[in-house]
Amino acid sequence: MADDLNDTYTYPFDMPSEEAVKFSDGAIAGKPAGVPSSYAEGGSTRWTPEAISEVHALAQLGRYQVRGYNTFNKRMPTFDDLTFVPATMTRLPLEGYRESCDTTTVLGGGRGLVEKPVELKIPIYIASMSFGALSANAKASLGYGASKVGTMTCTGEGGMLEEEREASQTLLYQMSPARYRIDLDHIRRADALEIVVGQGAKPGTGGLLLGMKVSERISEMRTLPVGVDQRSTIRHPDFLGADDLAVKVEELRIATNYQVPIFLKMGATRPRYDVAIAAKAGVDVVVVDGAEGGTGASPELLLNHTGIPTMSSIRAAREALDECGMTGKVSLVAAGGIRSGVDAAKCLALGADAVMIGNGAMIALGCNSPRYYEDFARLGTAPGACHHCHTGLCPVGIATQDPELEARMDPHAGAERIARYLTAMTMEITALAKACGKSSVHNLEVEDLRAMSFEASAFTGVKMAGIDRAFDW
Amino acid sequence: MSARVVEAGQRHIREINDELQKAAAEGQEVVVTNTLSRHNLGIGLPKGAHVRFEGSVGYYCAGLNDGAVIEVERNAGWGLAEGMASGHVTVGGYAGMSAGAAMTGGTIHVKGDSGPRCGVAMKGGNIIVEGKIGYQSGFMAHSGKIIALGGAGHSCADALWEGEVWVAGEVESLGVDVNVVEPTAEEVAEVDSILEPLGLVDSSRNWRKMISGQRLWYFESRDANAWLMI
Repeated sequence: MADDLNDTYTYPFDMPSEEAVKFSDGAIAGKPAGVPSSYAEGGSTRWTPEAISEVHALAQLGRYQVRGYNTFNKRMPTFDDLTFVPATMTRLPLEGYRESCDTTTVLGGGRGLVEKPVELKIPIYIASMSFGALSANAKASLGYGASKVGTMTCTGEGGMLEEEREASQTLLYQMSPARYRIDLDHIRRADALEIVVGQGAKPGTGGLLLGMKVSERISEMRTLPVGVDQRSTIRHPDFLGADDLAVKVEELRIATNYQVPIFLKMGATRPRYDVAIAAKAGVDVVVVDGAEGGTGASPELLLNHTGIPTMSSIRAAREALDECGMTGKVSLVAAGGIRSGVDAAKCLALGADAVMIGNGAMIALGCNSPRYYEDFARLGTAPGACHHCHTGLCPVGIATQDPELEARMDPHAGAERIARYLTAMTMEITALAKACGKSSVHNLEVEDLRAMSFEASAFTGVKMAGIDRAFDW
Repeated sequence: MSARVVEAGQRHIREINDELQKAAAEGQEVVVTNTLSRHNLGIGLPKGAHVRFEGSVGYYCAGLNDGAVIEVERNAGWGLAEGMASGHVTVGGYAGMSAGAAMTGGTIHVKGDSGPRCGVAMKGGNIIVEGKIGYQSGFMAHSGKIIALGGAGHSCADALWEGEVWVAGEVESLGVDVNVVEPTAEEVAEVDSILEPLGLVDSSRNWRKMISGQRLWYFESRDANAWLMI
């Protein structure tokens, strides 16, 4: 036999015993030494325990899984792959503890078309999270907290909540494709309008609010039967392409008497083209929401496997605006997975004019805070790991419509935590900006950053640390 | 008091709308001439306004209407009276795609046919089309009625919430999750009371009333615990 290698040679000594060959001097009896751990543990990189349990879940449910929060895709890059390179010999730093750094942020004034551009004291505002996804208490807290530090909140797609309108000095009113209770009265009470064509958590798919959260009040505001699983549209009812959108933008300008700016929010997918088209359609502000963006409920596969990372979308969006001569005319807002002032500062340096925070603001309100352990356990989770916004059973009273749970969130304390979180984030941004020698946070630039991974450099065009060259295709 | 004449022509759309608002504030009826099928004519007009457009209009005519009475002599483009809260809009000819999109109240009366997705996402009010409504009319209508006297195109009454589509004449095909039900005498009387002021009552009509089958209203699990498996 060709594969029998044993009959052509004979040792000049006796065959060793089987025991000796199998390390009998100390190896565990019955388990040959040197058998890899995969014998017990397995080692398929494809069929991981998670992948196996996912198949079991699909096989039992016969449907995809739905959950809230944000992506669990482990391959998402993080802002931690970027570092600032403050002023040293080539540049002069500002005194971080003493000198001032301007944080004023104006959105939507670049075209000179509207009377009242949005003027914020800080380059951060609260992301669009609907009343429905969040409780009325939570919405009011966000409004008061944001007002205290001179910034804005956004209604989300559920219509204008009176508590939020009262709380928010500056309120961005969202027109989602479903157009829940959009009318002239609400439009004229808004400080800015936002046309939604998508969101980072699930670009290309409409909003989702499971029946547990469709309370009497939600159903009235959204004109829906109580308790239905609201799965919203993603295509707008009255425009399809960019040319129609331009007419729509003009309509909204007439309806608001050219007073307030018009935002357009998109999920980050092809920002290089999408942002250019949005700018061409005539909006004042483009919001690009990266794949790390959060949501109250989504098919899990869309959270984990659609969209591109926030850091990569900002550079592409800024280059798109540069290329079509729209930088300065159209403002750019970045969003998706921004946790701190450090992340926000990196977004500004990459090219954003402002950032929007959603999950971070919820966490400041008390999301995933170490309280009500038993209720977290009942959801099968624990503080720090909860992602059950979709159930409406939020143990800390933020992502719920249950009055008893909602009462667990003190709206006044929540407002103050939001104000402090935003203040702290702003301090973080100015600390970095001043170290980089910038007297305005808006002077942060790509040159202030270096990448610590090839991936981050390739995604952003930021120079690699040390070698000082961008990873170049 | 005779109607004020506003010429549309090639003037800036803001100027034209400003004049319409001004006339409304003064309680003056308006006739808009030389409309050239311009987009965005008569946006957000208040109660008390009365505007008649000669010829045809483009997209979003009477958009976000807030109580005005608006007439279009000939045809209207996409999104006629989209987002209307209240008021009465009449189109003498045809209406394009998405007439009455997301409207929350008021009445639209189209004397000819209407294009696809008539009444898409509407939240209230009534749309009466004397001719045929285009494909996928009533798509995800939350509330209100679409009443077509001359038939309906494909995929009629697709994925409704609590809106209703009433059709006299042929329906080319039904959309997803539609129940065709026999209307009661009271329901027919209610529809007739909508048609009566328009002079369109005809007791010989054979109505088909389409409502949601409610299968798309829910995932199969209506219990929070079913969603905790992850």
